[in-house]
Amino acid sequence: MKLFTTLSIAAIMILAYSSCEKVIDIKLRDADQKYVIEGNITNEPGQCSVSITQTKAFSEDNNFPGVSGATVTVSDNGGTAIPLVETGQGIYTTSIINGAPGHTYTLKILVNGKTFGSVSTLPLPVNLDSIFIEDRILFGDSTKIVNITYKDPAAVGDAYRFLQYRNNVQEKTVFVNNDDFTNGNAVTTQLLVFGNDDDDKKIKAGDSIKVTMQCLDTPVYKYWFSIDAATGESNNATPANPVTNITGGALGYFSAHTTQSKTVRVP
Amino acid sequence: MSKPILLAVFLLSSIAALAQQKFTIAGTLKSKKNGETLIGASVRTGSAGTVTNDYGFFSLTLPEGTYNLLISSVGMQTQTIPVVLNKNVTLNFSLEETSKDLEEVVITAAPKGRSLKSPQMGIEQLSTREIKNIPMLFGERDVLKAIQLLPGIKSAGEGNAGFFVRGGAADQNLILLDEAPVYNASHLLGFFSTFNSDAIKDVTVYKAGMPAQYGGRLSSVLDIKMNDGNNQDYNVSGGLGLISSKLNIEGPLQKDKSSFLISARRTYADVFLKLSKDPSINNNALYFYDLNAKLNYQLGAKDRLYLSGYFGADKLGVGDLFGLKWGNGTGTLRWNHIFSNKLFSNTSLIFSNYNYQIDIRNGANDVTLFSQIRDGNIKQELQWYLNQKHNVRIGFNSIYHTMRPGDITASQGSNFNNQAFQRRYSWENALYASDVWKVADRVTLSYGLRLTAFSIIGPGDFYNVNAAGTVTDTMRYRSGQFVKTYVNLEPRAAASFELNDISSLKVSYVRNVQNLHLISNSTTSSPTDKWTASTNLIKPEISDQVSLGYYRNLLDNKYELTVETYYKSMQNQIDYRDGANVFVNGAIEAQLLYGKGRAYGIEWLLKRKAGKLTGWLSYTLAKTERKIDGINNNGWYNARQDRTHDIAIVAMYQLNKKWSFSANWIFYTGDAVSFPSGKYSSGGEVYFYYTERNGYRMPNYHRLDLGATLQLKNKKHWSSELAFSLYNAYGRENAYTIQFRQNEDDPAKTEAVRTALFKYIPSISYNFKFK
Repeated sequence: MKLFTTLSIAAIMILAYSSCEKVIDIKLRDADQKYVIEGNITNEPGQCSVSITQTKAFSEDNNFPGVSGATVTVSDNGGTAIPLVETGQGIYTTSIINGAPGHTYTLKILVNGKTFGSVSTLPLPVNLDSIFIEDRILFGDSTKIVNITYKDPAAVGDAYRFLQYRNNVQEKTVFVNNDDFTNGNAVTTQLLVFGNDDDDKKIKAGDSIKVTMQCLDTPVYKYWFSIDAATGESNNATPANPVTNITGGALGYFSAHTTQSKTVRVP
Repeated sequence: MSKPILLAVFLLSSIAALAQQKFTIAGTLKSKKNGETLIGASVRTGSAGTVTNDYGFFSLTLPEGTYNLLISSVGMQTQTIPVVLNKNVTLNFSLEETSKDLEEVVITAAPKGRSLKSPQMGIEQLSTREIKNIPMLFGERDVLKAIQLLPGIKSAGEGNAGFFVRGGAADQNLILLDEAPVYNASHLLGFFSTFNSDAIKDVTVYKAGMPAQYGGRLSSVLDIKMNDGNNQDYNVSGGLGLISSKLNIEGPLQKDKSSFLISARRTYADVFLKLSKDPSINNNALYFYDLNAKLNYQLGAKDRLYLSGYFGADKLGVGDLFGLKWGNGTGTLRWNHIFSNKLFSNTSLIFSNYNYQIDIRNGANDVTLFSQIRDGNIKQELQWYLNQKHNVRIGFNSIYHTMRPGDITASQGSNFNNQAFQRRYSWENALYASDVWKVADRVTLSYGLRLTAFSIIGPGDFYNVNAAGTVTDTMRYRSGQFVKTYVNLEPRAAASFELNDISSLKVSYVRNVQNLHLISNSTTSSPTDKWTASTNLIKPEISDQVSLGYYRNLLDNKYELTVETYYKSMQNQIDYRDGANVFVNGAIEAQLLYGKGRAYGIEWLLKRKAGKLTGWLSYTLAKTERKIDGINNNGWYNARQDRTHDIAIVAMYQLNKKWSFSANWIFYTGDAVSFPSGKYSSGGEVYFYYTERNGYRMPNYHRLDLGATLQLKNKKHWSSELAFSLYNAYGRENAYTIQFRQNEDDPAKTEAVRTALFKYIPSISYNFKFK
């Protein structure tokens, strides 16, 4: 019901004639630092990487340096644990493991005496059939919106994430879908972006639009679905940390997913 | 279970048998002007006395003799009637309204709840005069907003019609309109309430010590009674306001005997939207309307029928993208029968409906979601005015609930599958008895018992869910099969001790049980919040509240002081798991967590009731917390509505016959909220790190509103007035939300942004009456 909340706020603003925004000073407490783990393994070769960062105080800058010196391993369907090598500060990768649909991957991390773990299953791929651009009236403005089509498989439990890049710049909005209401159908979904008032950031004729579709397992879907509550801008849900599939008390996720991209030029 | 009731009846009968030669005076009190029955009017002689019930009926049993009966009611001229009591007497009497020409508005009678003698405590009432004078947003008189200026009743904030009573949640208030439960009392996303003040006769809020005839919600009962309609003359009145207009028509069907009332209201914000050239505005729909209608018919000296109905709806549409409609409908058919001058009966057949519909138009992918909750309800109550010492009430109530959590209809060729979430059926029964017993001259005791049985009925799938929220077992029930019945006993007790002629002390205990739960994940309320009945896993919510109060009349009854303190504990409270998907078919229990709550506080109210200047000063000091397994590391945390201080000052001043002024100022501690205590990066974006639930506070809220009314014409057949108001007079930017985001110019920085609504909202409305 994110849509509802966004729309109701728009309606309230219409009603109120005036509503005003102001940047204010708030004293926030600094919590103890927590590890943030982001692990990805995909069905494309050489794409197994894990990054480790930490939380920071609100007042600090938005540069999140990686945490070095961790021992990171990934195993494929319960096989031998393959160590990942630190290739950049806090970034651990391997090309020995390639993700395969239907396989389950196990992540283990030892960092500064703390251990974390996770398990994720790479789903069977669903084809990204097409992407196209459509004009729609959103709050009175004609807006170009990216549409995606795919055919949802007959079995229940498919989940997807879409990443939209405009001229190689990624859109902030997290787009996720599952098949709760669309199981087994040919699906056309729109990547709706709200609150984008900056004309420079809107899609225009001539732009190059790339969409990457990922097929996710359910725990990873839950992570991206629930991250809305941590955006700091949601009226929708009680603020909370997203539901992680990492054990041991870290933030973040470990995602085994398929990946497929398509690019169009905006007519 | 009926044993205690039988025992009580037996005891009372034996007391009756011991009584000496006595006679009963009984009847109905009305207003002379419009024939409306008077609720809570006082009939007294010396230390003996009673008040009229919800239908204006009273019964007073006294020893043989000669009496002067003093009859009084708020806003009415007090009358003294000599009565020779040597046989049973029927006294139907009409009171004159207090004349407007009087230099001073003098209110002599205390409202029923404030009576020093009555053991009822935790009760708040507003007169229609007060509701009319309090300045409101857009000049829209609003019962729900007005009661939030009283101690212990807290506003859920701007853009939110919900209210919190003594630390309870917004769904823990039983809102009754002519006995019919109203499930969503908000219009226009919460800026207005569903109650058209023109159609309302009486508003009573019970915060504690609820009488046994009320039940089903933990925190409060808001009992709203509609006008019956003028049975003397035809009347047309109405108002033109900035955002809405209303029209009210009433008159006799048979003079003195029966009457009708129709009251309608519609907003026209959308008409203005259409005028705009900007398509971002003129494409949107935004309106509500409501209709109140009532008929009452006197069948004979002993029987009266009432038929009342309410229908209201909201429509919100944004371009060709999205539509949301929601609305309540209620209907009540009541039959009053006076069996004898000591036995009064009321039978009610009640219907309530709430539904909403969301339309999402998404290219070829149109999808509609429909959700509904519908009740059929029967009530029977007997009021037995046994003797001077006992006033007994016995009744039962049976409600059948049908819930449709969501039916999805998709257009042909759509992505979406047609789908209907499982319907839920439940049957709620209650049996109750209570007695108000005048134990001694200055001591009155009220005690009662309510027995409730809530049955969940098939067909349907019910689940077992493990601690991680995974469904472990599904049980399928056939149509009509009983899944589970929760039986609860709710004792109610209250006592008043008059310390002297001007002050009294009261104490009360009440247990309430709630089987319908509004499950909401959001910090603001929305029409699509989900009502869910108890299931095999969702247990009935239970609250126990003890309350102690001190009441004193000051300076010749010009002022009234009330101090009440309370402690309330709540069991089986419900919250969503983090990251729950509110909108799923199947086991909602997989998304829920359970725990307990506690609330305590002290409330002061100083009211000036007489003179040119009237009004009140209210102050509440309170705390309310929750402890839910799986939230906040299982520790106690502040509930969202936890506000330490809450102050309201309301003043109304009658300058002369033409001008009257009003003002209110409110202040409260900011709501408890969750703010981040850190941040991190995920997927290349900055997100915020939360450590404790509701560990921070919104900024303190305060606001001044001003109002003025100018009487234009006041002729025999025509009167009119202009009402002005200024909402948020000193333009305080109160925080509606506080959000956190990356600075647009310098993405390396994060900032907190406060959004405020409504700075200085002036309004003007024109009201008229054709008599």
